[in-house]
Amino acid sequence: MKKFKTLAIFFVGLFLLTSMVGDSEDADKLVGVWEPSNKKIKVKIDKISGKYYGKIVWLREPIDPVTGKPKTDKNNPDESLKDVALKGFRMLKDFVYNGNGEWSEGTIYDPQNGSTYSSVIKLKDENTLDIRGFIGLKTFGRTDVWKRLVMKNKK
Amino acid sequence: MNIKVLLFSFFLVPLLMVAQDEEDYSMYDDLEYADEGATTFASPKIIGLSPNRFINVAWDVQSPYTMNTSDTIGYLPDASWEIKESSNVNYTGGLRLNANIPVISRNNIVWQMGANYMNTNFSIDDADPSDGPILSELDRTSLNTTGLFTTVFKPLNDKQFLIFQGQADYNGNYTFTDFHSFGLTKYSAAVLWGKRPHDRLQWAIGASRTYRVGELNYVPIIMYNWTSKKEKWGTEILFPAKANGKYWMNKNSLIMFGYELEGGSYHLEGLSNNGNSFELRRGAVRPRIEWNRKLVGFFWLNAQLGTRINYGFTYDELENGKEFFRGFFGQQEIAAFSSLGTSLYGLVGISFVSL
Repeated sequence: MKKFKTLAIFFVGLFLLTSMVGDSEDADKLVGVWEPSNKKIKVKIDKISGKYYGKIVWLREPIDPVTGKPKTDKNNPDESLKDVALKGFRMLKDFVYNGNGEWSEGTIYDPQNGSTYSSVIKLKDENTLDIRGFIGLKTFGRTDVWKRLVMKNKK
Repeated sequence: MNIKVLLFSFFLVPLLMVAQDEEDYSMYDDLEYADEGATTFASPKIIGLSPNRFINVAWDVQSPYTMNTSDTIGYLPDASWEIKESSNVNYTGGLRLNANIPVISRNNIVWQMGANYMNTNFSIDDADPSDGPILSELDRTSLNTTGLFTTVFKPLNDKQFLIFQGQADYNGNYTFTDFHSFGLTKYSAAVLWGKRPHDRLQWAIGASRTYRVGELNYVPIIMYNWTSKKEKWGTEILFPAKANGKYWMNKNSLIMFGYELEGGSYHLEGLSNNGNSFELRRGAVRPRIEWNRKLVGFFWLNAQLGTRINYGFTYDELENGKEFFRGFFGQQEIAAFSSLGTSLYGLVGISFVSL
């Protein structure tokens, strides 16, 4: 009987461990460099302390045509952040993996209007994200398709 | 301690540490898709567009004016008419509700459904039925519009798009316990094809079936939304329905100045006999200045101040309720005429918006 108990605990533990490892692997599929459908920016998503964050690492038009200087977050409602460079700006914050290829509880920032929206991300396939920003209810939002980018010759 | 070592400690070591923290962004210049890129579609918005109202609650009120009305004997459209009733309209105003909810909102299609309700109450001095039927009918009841509408924005590629709008309005002096026939619902529609050359400009041309000036009409439409490079000035034009210039005072405050055509065709139950529909064809031009101001989060205040200039306030008797198209040249008889003095108007509303 004792042998059976030990065996049961071992298998339960093994099951939990493998499912945790599996979950973690699935969760980290979000990590990488992604491009929105408008192709204006590239966003690198990293895992930091168990949550997922994305920062702008590339801009198609890095120079502000009005100032002639590198683009800053000029639309940010916080005056003290208006001069912060857009390149390197963290526009995705605090995403938590829910399972089933979905990350939620995060926010997405739109530098074009300085608004921050609630957001949920779904992995459609290994290289495609459906990323929805919304206000309050998911109904009041918009979904964009983001595609995974890789270093050349690293497919 | 050696001065060189000190210098190294104070200046070079921190610099090296900073350099380690900073990412070399040039490595992201030359990436490729893991499989294939997403298709780029024209966005329904441009930079600097006025807030898109999901839900709006507003109150509209007009200053007093004089209303003259003819007899209800039937006239040719360009006929002269004599005043049968004349009175002062002390109050014109009412509630306006509007909801515009996205059903599908993706980068390759946006489909929105909405509902609106607009109420206009008149308070007319000495509106005695024995003097004539029209003013007392307007004074006794209120005009209501309850509508459903849908908008589809379909980008064809990264530059071109189509817009379809359809609307069904149930207009009249009904109450919510006493409806008239739903067969009198008025249908409007518009189709536009357009281009979005860059993030600060979109334009489109199309055609519409509309009741904006009261009567049924078919008119061409031109849309021209533009924002200046500095994102301060711009235009939002949907000619002939409305045209506005705009100035963003800051990111939380927008001034708009222009005009809007507003109108509809309303069934008047008390004047309708023998299965016919006696309809008020009401249309007005509203030159105005509008202030949009962020209150908190995604809630914005909108306030308008302007004049209401009468474009048309005529009456048609629709045989068996059947709508007809008179256009600019039709000679179908007009049942009665009214003329309205110009008045000032104000509107205050609160909206739940998306930027």
